[in-house]
Amino acid sequence: MASPLVLLPGDEVPTRHLPSNKSNPLKLGPGLRLLSQPSSTSQNTQSQHVLAATQAGILTTDVKRNTVSLLSFPNRRYIPTVNDLIIAQIHHSSVDYFHCMVTPHTAHALLGQLSFEGASKKTRPMLRQGDLVYARVLSIGLGAGAEVELTCVNPATGKSEPGGLGPLNGGMVFDVSTGMAARLLRASSSSSEQSESIDGLVVLSELGKKLESLGGFEIAVGRNGKVWIDCSNAGESAVKATIAIGRCLQTVDEKGLGPTDQKKFVTRILREMKLVS
Amino acid sequence: MVGPTASLSNLSRADGSASFKCPTTGYKILGSVNAPVELPGRRDALKPEEATVEVFIKPGNTTAGVGERYVEGIIRTMLQKLILGRERGFPRRGVVITLAIVGGGAIARGDSYLTLLPSLLHTSLLALLSGAVPMSMTYSTALVAVSKSNVIISNPTLVEAKAASSLHVLAFSSKGHLLLNESQGRFDFDTWKTVQQCAHALCRGVDLPEVDGDIAMEAQGDSGTAEGFVRETVENHLYRDYAWKIDTE
Amino acid sequence: MSKEAPLSIAEREFILEALRQDSRLDGRTPDQFRPLKISFGDEYGHVNLELGNTSIIVRISAEVTKPRDERPFDGLFNINLELSAMGSPAWENGRPNDVESSVTHVLDSVIRHSNALDTESLCILKGVSCWSIRADVHVVAYDGNLTDAACIAVMTGLQHFRRPDAVVRDGQVVVYGVEERVPVALNITHKPLSVTFFAFNESKNIIVDATLKEEQASEGELVIGINNGGEMCFMNKFSGATINAREIVTRTSVALEKVKDLNAQIDRAMQADLALRAKRGMAEESRAENDR
Repeated sequence: MASPLVLLPGDEVPTRHLPSNKSNPLKLGPGLRLLSQPSSTSQNTQSQHVLAATQAGILTTDVKRNTVSLLSFPNRRYIPTVNDLIIAQIHHSSVDYFHCMVTPHTAHALLGQLSFEGASKKTRPMLRQGDLVYARVLSIGLGAGAEVELTCVNPATGKSEPGGLGPLNGGMVFDVSTGMAARLLRASSSSSEQSESIDGLVVLSELGKKLESLGGFEIAVGRNGKVWIDCSNAGESAVKATIAIGRCLQTVDEKGLGPTDQKKFVTRILREMKLVS
Repeated sequence: MVGPTASLSNLSRADGSASFKCPTTGYKILGSVNAPVELPGRRDALKPEEATVEVFIKPGNTTAGVGERYVEGIIRTMLQKLILGRERGFPRRGVVITLAIVGGGAIARGDSYLTLLPSLLHTSLLALLSGAVPMSMTYSTALVAVSKSNVIISNPTLVEAKAASSLHVLAFSSKGHLLLNESQGRFDFDTWKTVQQCAHALCRGVDLPEVDGDIAMEAQGDSGTAEGFVRETVENHLYRDYAWKIDTE
Repeated sequence: MSKEAPLSIAEREFILEALRQDSRLDGRTPDQFRPLKISFGDEYGHVNLELGNTSIIVRISAEVTKPRDERPFDGLFNINLELSAMGSPAWENGRPNDVESSVTHVLDSVIRHSNALDTESLCILKGVSCWSIRADVHVVAYDGNLTDAACIAVMTGLQHFRRPDAVVRDGQVVVYGVEERVPVALNITHKPLSVTFFAFNESKNIIVDATLKEEQASEGELVIGINNGGEMCFMNKFSGATINAREIVTRTSVALEKVKDLNAQIDRAMQADLALRAKRGMAEESRAENDR
């Protein structure tokens, strides 16, 4: 595919670009809206969905899951979407909720005081202002100005699923673009043995390999452009290793480094920080 | 003729940003968009169901005055119609657009702001796109002057604009609607009609029948138009941002 | 809005712990500035400055005006800093905030009140007309150390700017266009710059050129305005934790060293740009001759 299709707001999605999977209903990703859909009476005719873009982006389709979405600018501000994993910062707490900051200068999201694994009135975590939590967006509410609700537990099972949800202790958070966060999330969730490079990212697997001797590191990626790193296993080099990881991620993001450059940069930084010889 | 130049997402703190340079007037504008954000202290002014659009113009080497406030009003009114302020995350929040005039001469008090308006509008659009603010459609704009001898000058220089008997800024949506018309000076309706055709050609290319030989219309492909320029700028930037994806496919 | 989002506890503690080990998030040493990039626009006195992710545009302009009655021999010089939402979403358009007033105060003290620009040389005709020089500072991206960055940008702008030539003939002021007479550089008496220090961990760790996150984690700050000759023109310890007096003396020599280095960088950027302009000017002249 030489140059994929770029849509601007108002452009209609050409019908030939729509996946023609009839078994599943068509799902729309962000940046697209439905202007009209085929009437149920004319089942036999070709799919007549009229979709228009509301943002500028590259059109991508997934035939298997029957989805269409737009890849918009990676520097954009994060807007909460249900089921996204995010890193939120406690701003203050009230009787029933922790009020959390998801992105700066937007309304706070609510996190129930009991929305943690095994939390009861007595065992709930006592979070202070400035503490970080790894949470999932539970609901974004209906209507204008509705509040976003977060959770650190799967309401169906009572477990912190997917693993790792809950308060983040120690470590450090680094800011990356929302586009980079989405890529990192995909790269870190699939096990690194499967493939070397996911979404053009080798930086994580490379860091993982090189820092293994120091005890490795823990990582949590939030879709809101935050990456939490903890190297407390690395003992004395914990601070340096954390800084090195943060610098690698931010540089790969800002400079848009390709796989080979990512490897080179990781080696350079680790040497500069005197973590590997 | 040298075309305009623009770049996207060049500021680190803003959610969306763009710079735009117009070769004929020499103006260079830097624009930023923060959206959606809280607008504290303005709760009463916020609309309950929609986003509030704010436009702020910062002149390069003077203090902002009435002229800037007036143009801010024009831009805000136009953008409010295009921004989908009811999309998820946007109602009761602000879309804050800041435009700084970073290159080109100062506009003296009382001088026409119309020469600057197209650059401001193009910068706003590119910054909004870069910030992924949902919009119903895009637009393109052009500056057209009519000289004392009734010759129509497209993309006039500042000298030509100053000497002109009337100045016009028109904006067309990507669907062909006339979105904005700001005119000043003396002109009759027939002149305006030709001006409108000329501006349409500059923005979207020629698809209107030529009425008379008076208009010097160059043969323009899609790339020569203002609309084509916006599209190309966005495409180039997205291809670069997603090089990791495109190369692997 | 109006306030930057607060740091998380993790970030604050990590920054402090790293500094205890003499490490910074971007791998710099405590006394190291971020890479400084200076470039110039088409007009004289138009400076684009980048200090790490902090980015500033300065434009210098001049106009003829009437001097103030109490100082008929002096021209006017003003520095204008207005923060907009472009620099940081925390700043509201059209509403002054604390950062704006504190940075303006330092700029005024270091550059204006130290008479870095000789305002007497701006006088054209006593009590009748003089030049008014205006420096507009546009902060387009804020990532800490606004004060030093703005100081460097304004001083660079003043050195780069050329005002039109003006003479008095038969009691009348004649201003020559740029095409008629070579425009004149401003009279700069000395080149002061500010260096801002931030203190951490009971002032055991003191760093220069803090990023926004470092500023937010700091306990106190110290600003020193000094020129190449080692003459101090400004010192301020705004607030925060105490700093040992002896420490201030050693910091002053660090500041001097930094200012010398920064001024050298300004000079290099200026010379490169002026050489480029001269070359371009020559090319244009020969083109004009060819046309004739």
